[in-house]
Amino acid sequence: MTVANLKYSKSLSKFQSLIALLILCIVLSILTDKFFTAENGLNVLRQIAVNICISVGMTLVVLTAGIDLSVGSVLALCSAVTAGLLKNGIEIPAGNLWIGFTLLGAVLAGLLLGFLLGCFNGFAITKFNVPPFVATLAMLTIARGFTMLYTKGHPISNLGDSFAFIGTGWLFGIPVPVYIAAVVVLVAVFITQKTKIGRYIYAIGGNEQAAKLSGINIKKVKITVYAIAGALAALGGVIVASRLDSAQPNAGISYELDAIAAVVIGGTSLSGGKGSVWGTVMGAIIIGVLNNGLVLLNVSPFWQQVVKGSVILLAVIIDKAGESKD
Amino acid sequence: MKKCLSLVVIFYSLLFANCKNKTAQPHQKKMAIVVSTLNNPWFVFLAETAAAKAKALGYDAKVFDSQNNTSLESDHFENIIVSGFDAILFNSTDANGSVANVLKAKVAGIPVFCMDREINSPDAATSQILSDSYSGAVSIAKYFTQQLEKKGNYVEILGIVGDNNTWARSKGFHSVVDNYPNLKMVAQQSADFDRNKALEVMESILQAHPDIDAVFCGNDGMAMGAYQALVSAGKAQKVKVYGFDGAEDVITSISENKVAATGMQFPKVMAETAAIFADEYVKGKRDFPKKIPVAVELVTAKNINDYTAYGKK
Repeated sequence: MTVANLKYSKSLSKFQSLIALLILCIVLSILTDKFFTAENGLNVLRQIAVNICISVGMTLVVLTAGIDLSVGSVLALCSAVTAGLLKNGIEIPAGNLWIGFTLLGAVLAGLLLGFLLGCFNGFAITKFNVPPFVATLAMLTIARGFTMLYTKGHPISNLGDSFAFIGTGWLFGIPVPVYIAAVVVLVAVFITQKTKIGRYIYAIGGNEQAAKLSGINIKKVKITVYAIAGALAALGGVIVASRLDSAQPNAGISYELDAIAAVVIGGTSLSGGKGSVWGTVMGAIIIGVLNNGLVLLNVSPFWQQVVKGSVILLAVIIDKAGESKD
Repeated sequence: MKKCLSLVVIFYSLLFANCKNKTAQPHQKKMAIVVSTLNNPWFVFLAETAAAKAKALGYDAKVFDSQNNTSLESDHFENIIVSGFDAILFNSTDANGSVANVLKAKVAGIPVFCMDREINSPDAATSQILSDSYSGAVSIAKYFTQQLEKKGNYVEILGIVGDNNTWARSKGFHSVVDNYPNLKMVAQQSADFDRNKALEVMESILQAHPDIDAVFCGNDGMAMGAYQALVSAGKAQKVKVYGFDGAEDVITSISENKVAATGMQFPKVMAETAAIFADEYVKGKRDFPKKIPVAVELVTAKNINDYTAYGKK
């Protein structure tokens, strides 16, 4: 096979999820005339913004052959803390002290918390050799528990108009969450394709032993990756709370599964080293389009779950079939 | 040396704890509160109220969260029986599946008082204090048809499709609304009792059916989600939203004329009645009504001033 041919077949497999998405869109456009409109397109993009933030972080983690099951709970905790700080601040009864937070302060505190929870995940994984599945499973439960403790099980609502802008605002005819997701995607693409740490991420997922021998600081890279995943989950939490004007203690339940589905549909290998952020974006759009299309067609809620599962399976089968041809 | 010292401290603290238990609380009675889930503010309120009432009556109270999982509920019952609780205030995960758990407690001589959700057994529980979801939905539906003047397009957003309450509410609603052929349901979708899912589902429905007149939601969380979607579509003025529960956000929204109506359930009444019954049982009373239905009241802009979150003012 010549170099040109190799390049050609590689880029073809890259476009497989794009092709799947196009087929899905064409089918839906035939079935309903409400699907292919600019308004509905923006609608879908706004809905998937949260999943894109989470699944981009998940992609980085999965590329190192890891997994992060805690993103849904981290999202809930960070959105609750952001909303709580914004609305109530911190009260320190000892000194009769009250610390209020500005919008920026509250959001940054939420993101920082996500970052730290991610660091904790990475630390448990690298320092104590806890398998990522177990470490983040533990964090899933712990973060949900802290969310319940912090909110006492009640939603934190009425967060104000300026906060609502993050999730419900529009700029130049496009919803704000879409800009946020776009920035996240572009930064992640830049990191994975153009920076040293991006190459390290792929190297570790491809062959951790070899990466170690070639002098890569594996612990540092892994902790960074989980920290980014945590911060992005927190960003998703801020968007969710802003869209609902309320931080829900049960927000984000099973979001990790949607994120993993987006990563897998996008062609990233769960064993690490192979895949891309663009693929995940395609995967997230496929899931979003599917959710939207099934509701537009008023498919029974019972059948929707069957259809969604089948599409995930089908997408991966097509992807694998393309891979084995190389 | 340090180790030695800390061991001594631990030993003494153990001793001290033991002494305290034996002398201070010789016959402390305790109630177990088993709720289907704590992932929903309504059930948190139910559990908190039951625990508070039990404590006020002089009991130790411990809350068990079944996480909507009947087999976890079964584990809770086994632990409760082993640790010698005096009564169980119970909110079941499943009308049929939970019967076996209640029977286990009955055999062990521990009375069970059901709150809000019914179990399908005539005599397993000592008494059942139940929210009448079906007739609550009927009264919402009557107001709904009256407000829409018996014609228009509406959307129904269901709760978790495997949940009894979802269908009790939906059936009660349709038992009225389906009698009017000019009231047309253009979409029926599930949002799992979840605010964010309801928002997303409603956004998509609005794409397919931009000209609707009303939305009936299976709980208040979903009503708020649907309302949010209507606001961003600029249709909040035109489309009437109906909820169910009487949660804080919706009560506020009704008073601001944002949401049309909700069905007020009375978790406080149910939880406190159950705790009082349990106390009476422990004190020797054995004769309880098998079922007490607690009516769900219609809350609209007209009578909103009589109500607060989860109850009457």
